[in-house]
Amino acid sequence: MNRKSAARAALATLPFLLALAVDLLFFATRRDRLPGQLASHFVGNGRADDYAGRTSYLVVTTLVLLGTGLLWTVMAWAGKFTDRAYRMTIAFGYAVAGFLGYLLAVVLLINVDAPEDAQGRGQDVSFPMWHLAVAVGVGAVAYGIGHLAAALGPGPEPVEAAAPGGNGERIALAAGEVAGWARGAGSWWLPLTALLVLGAGVVLLFTASWPAALPALVLGLLLATFSRPYVTVDRRGITVSGLLPWPRVRVPLDRIEAASSRDISPLTEYGGWGYRIRPGRTGVMIRSGEGIVARLASGRDFAVTVDDSATGAALLNTLIDQRRTDH
Amino acid sequence: MLFRVDPTSTVPLGDQIAACVRRAVADGAAAPGERLPAARVLAESLGVNVHTVLRGYQRLREEGLIELRRGRGAAIADGASPHRARLLERIRETVGEARGLGLTSDELLALVRTEYGAG
Repeated sequence: MNRKSAARAALATLPFLLALAVDLLFFATRRDRLPGQLASHFVGNGRADDYAGRTSYLVVTTLVLLGTGLLWTVMAWAGKFTDRAYRMTIAFGYAVAGFLGYLLAVVLLINVDAPEDAQGRGQDVSFPMWHLAVAVGVGAVAYGIGHLAAALGPGPEPVEAAAPGGNGERIALAAGEVAGWARGAGSWWLPLTALLVLGAGVVLLFTASWPAALPALVLGLLLATFSRPYVTVDRRGITVSGLLPWPRVRVPLDRIEAASSRDISPLTEYGGWGYRIRPGRTGVMIRSGEGIVARLASGRDFAVTVDDSATGAALLNTLIDQRRTDH
Repeated sequence: MLFRVDPTSTVPLGDQIAACVRRAVADGAAAPGERLPAARVLAESLGVNVHTVLRGYQRLREEGLIELRRGRGAAIADGASPHRARLLERIRETVGEARGLGLTSDELLALVRTEYGAG
């Protein structure tokens, strides 16, 4: 909790607060000209198919911007990023704030002076799809600003460099001995999430159409295969596998430089749980706590949270030593 | 759980795999309820045949160290304790020594019974 990390957190929070301030300002100045029910959801041709009250617009806008803002704030505060990854993370936060802030503002502005029907719904409101392109453009510009601001502001604390080859424990293997380490990495929320997503897919199948249900069903099945994941370390590298041979996540041994076992904070380091890709790091975050962190030849980190990670990391380092002496 | 096998050893690979699980339970590294990797996963990991792994698992089940549940895979049995695993390790050693001395199983069992009677 020093001044530098507070400054980084402030820098990360800033774009979200700005976006919120702009959206709230638009709302305050145009409140009297808005219909009772704002057109809030649009289909492919830009026509509205759902409506929201003015209060719920305010609540949703505030929650979305503050919620995502909070995520980036904790990552900037304690994310343990390298210099480059930190700048990209901050910049990405600016892009998200710009994109969301623009879209939320557009939804408000297209509702201004819309005639109301009997239920107070705004009529003849349409959302031209070119607004999406502009939102992406706003995000891109914000990305540049964020990158510049992060470079000018205080940098992250230096990350302790992994010793080449890793200096941790090794497992003594006899000549010709083959070793493998495997450990279940399941958690209660994995099958629950799969079930919820699949359930949503089935509900959509009956209430909406199959094109709407398909993404949820596919994602639900994918999650179901990973409802009881297994982490394996062997001569092929590090693998996170589900119930089926495929899909799986594998980092080949050739690409790993060193491995270590340490406590991982999914929220601050990876911005949440699940399969996370962040600047400079990729992770399979199943819970908070100990895990294996592998430093790759490309300079990136690959991490997975799993019990008894010290043994897994030790075997990984042993296999890396073996590879080095073999070549 | 750490598995290590030596394909050049005279000990059958299935027995070597069983010994790894026994060791893990004896060390307290594997507690009751912990799931073992699926036979297919472990076989690919170690580069051995699936049936070899299944032979090892079958052996552990006979020893009461693991439970094999249909569709749910193998897990360390509720009754498996470090003490039990260490006892099983010693029985293996004892049987190995008895074989080396040329004793039959009946002869060894007779010795065990005598020891029980004395205690």
